[in-house]
Amino acid sequence: MAQTVVTAPDTDPAVTHAAPAHQTNTGVSNNKLAIWVFLASESLFFGAFISTYFLYRGRDAHFLKGPTPTDLLSVPFTSVTSFVLLMSSLTMVLALAAIRRGDHRRFRIWIMATAIFGMTFISGQVFEFTEFYREGLHLGTNLFGSTFFVLTGLHGAHVTIGIVWLLSLWGRSMQGRLGAERSEAVEIAGLYWHFVDVVWIFIFTAVYLIPQH
Amino acid sequence: MNDQVSDVDTSGQSDGPGTAVAVASDAPPVVAADAHVALGDAHDNHPTERQYVLIAVVLVVITSIEIATSYLNTGHTNLIIVALFLMAAIKFFLVAAWYMHMKTDQPFFRRIFVTGMVGAGIVYGIVMFVFSSTVLKT
Repeated sequence: MAQTVVTAPDTDPAVTHAAPAHQTNTGVSNNKLAIWVFLASESLFFGAFISTYFLYRGRDAHFLKGPTPTDLLSVPFTSVTSFVLLMSSLTMVLALAAIRRGDHRRFRIWIMATAIFGMTFISGQVFEFTEFYREGLHLGTNLFGSTFFVLTGLHGAHVTIGIVWLLSLWGRSMQGRLGAERSEAVEIAGLYWHFVDVVWIFIFTAVYLIPQH
Repeated sequence: MNDQVSDVDTSGQSDGPGTAVAVASDAPPVVAADAHVALGDAHDNHPTERQYVLIAVVLVVITSIEIATSYLNTGHTNLIIVALFLMAAIKFFLVAAWYMHMKTDQPFFRRIFVTGMVGAGIVYGIVMFVFSSTVLKT
């Protein structure tokens, strides 16, 4: 029976971390393939809500009454939380770099910093939602309320899931169950976290920065 | 990744780190994933920590420019919108290419993600065009 050998030359076992043994019939890591396909589908998911926001944007005056984006949105406040989320992407890659070289202490510092940045972002969002609610903007108040809460709320839910994921990695590392050979698990969590960050880049521009009517 | 595949007879066992064995038969080839590089993790090409920090600085600078641009009151709203989305696209590219390692990782992953992004752009571009010109026209 003809057999195929896939050879990776110049592979120094001392340098290259080994992934946990798993099978693949595609030639690429199944776990990474899965997360990339998931992220591609997430592009369509968030695309739906961003385009809906744009479709309804500025139509409130024609249809419904209530607080408008001009009345409520605070660019300075959200700019700070956006900076925090951007910095969390930096700490995430630093965590990945640390675990790849087997530096577990720094890995735990950076992964915890990423989770804390994420929690800061979510705290800001909770504060913002509470303020808007107090000002009279609910999910059903007007088109702005519906599209804003659904879009930013779903993004916040993704960030929250990411925080839980990061904390679970931190916990596994504390228990000694996350060695350098399992860095792919950190890489996959990182891909999810960075994707959540790039989605916010567009939400921040679409919702907060574009001049309101 | 598969550019170094050759048909030979082997014992069907992995030859250790750096070598993965697949059986080319009627069944889908199964590759032992103990050779991480063979699965497309070109970690040696990954950016250094210094480069990661440099990218973060660039992202912060672009974000600052974005925020400043949003406060401009020139009357050219469309121009400001284009500029803001251009800067968002640059930030997206930087994060995807450097932090998500699309620049150095397997092109296969990049193609999957880009397909999703382009698909989303086309689908929702059509949706926005159709809805804004018909259903929501006021």
